[in-house]
Amino acid sequence: MPRDNGMLVRFWGTRGSLPVARPALAIQGKIARALVAAGGRKFNDELEAHAWARSNLEFSTYGSYGGASSCVEIEGGKDCFLVCDMGSGLREFGIDAFRRYAEGHARVYHFFLSHLHWDHIMGFPFFGPAFDPGAKIYIHSGHADAEEALRRQQEEISFPVPFDWLKARFEFITHKPGEPFKVAGVTVTLASQHHSHDSYGYRFEKNGKAVIYSTDSEHKLDNMEDEAFFEAFFRDADLVIFDSMYSLGDTVSLKQDWGHSSNVVAVDLCHAAHAKRLALFHHEPTYSDRDIQRMHGETIRYEELVRADRPALEVLCAYDGLEVRI
Amino acid sequence: MSLSWRLTNAGDRLVGSPDGRVDETTWEAFSGHLTAAVRDAAAAGLPLVVDLTALDYMSSRGLRALTIARREAGEAVSITLAAPNDRMREILAISRYDKLFTITDSVGSAG
Repeated sequence: MPRDNGMLVRFWGTRGSLPVARPALAIQGKIARALVAAGGRKFNDELEAHAWARSNLEFSTYGSYGGASSCVEIEGGKDCFLVCDMGSGLREFGIDAFRRYAEGHARVYHFFLSHLHWDHIMGFPFFGPAFDPGAKIYIHSGHADAEEALRRQQEEISFPVPFDWLKARFEFITHKPGEPFKVAGVTVTLASQHHSHDSYGYRFEKNGKAVIYSTDSEHKLDNMEDEAFFEAFFRDADLVIFDSMYSLGDTVSLKQDWGHSSNVVAVDLCHAAHAKRLALFHHEPTYSDRDIQRMHGETIRYEELVRADRPALEVLCAYDGLEVRI
Repeated sequence: MSLSWRLTNAGDRLVGSPDGRVDETTWEAFSGHLTAAVRDAAAAGLPLVVDLTALDYMSSRGLRALTIARREAGEAVSITLAAPNDRMREILAISRYDKLFTITDSVGSAG
């Protein structure tokens, strides 16, 4: 738990629609760019090389946004893990949860599902703690068919281990949007979002701080009046995690009705809601690290262009491994 | 900041001129003016030029109002964006709206 009794958001998977792995050509490009940037510099050891690279190379060269699909942990719940979505990033989270068991962490999990599409639940069959008889796993959702979705992806035609072989104790809880409930000292509220088979955004509040998880949410052209609802849902949030998969131009043309939103709508909603920080999330799987970095830079610039007399909105770009203290 | 709108008939085209800023407080008025202008242009059989000279900037709601106007226009009315300031040019590029609309440097070269 964060020392200041606030919240800490940890991103385990940030990619939209499909996990991706960088091909060798992309890694080779990073190495080549790093060597050119180093300009013949000599390093005594790897530590010295890391230190120089961290300070001198672009994120897209030295780092990577990663390729796991949606999974975001919110530390701050009393004696439990709080996790949004079960994308492929859940596997790494599960491995880390075992490590934290050894430090005395309780074996209680609360999951909050945005929706049941494959990229948001595909990590569950590989979630080690589901096999732990000492674990208790609560699955919160706006969908009454959440259990069916998890059971179905473990049926024999898709996976060799059926759901009933799992050893943890499970409880599925369906919530109505707009009706706050308490989980381990955190107040949670759902909001209905526009997406195929519906999706739900979550507002997590604790000690006067608020984190929004809003992914797979299309803010459609023909109901812009409804955006006042999201401005209220995001109101004064300390962090808004937002589906910014496409450009605005794409969302009103080729990719209309694909259920996703854009970086510029993210900024505008956060401005209107007086949110403090925005994390761009659910990155397009065809984007390279350089594409995502460019999109991040453009979003920071757009925020400056339309800020007017508002306080600055900090624009982060989520990557696998990013931690944000609230 | 408020938004004003002026529509003029330049003979071979209608020119709609927003003045101010299009954001979450003014987009509905902007969209209403645009849609009405599209209908006027269709009735007159003329293209519509949106003169951005006096526009400070528009946020995503203004951009999406342009798309609504484009849909209203259909094949009947062409819509051209003219004379955006540097800030507006950047916004059009970041949003990729520069790939959806024809943008000209001046009102005179549009239409």
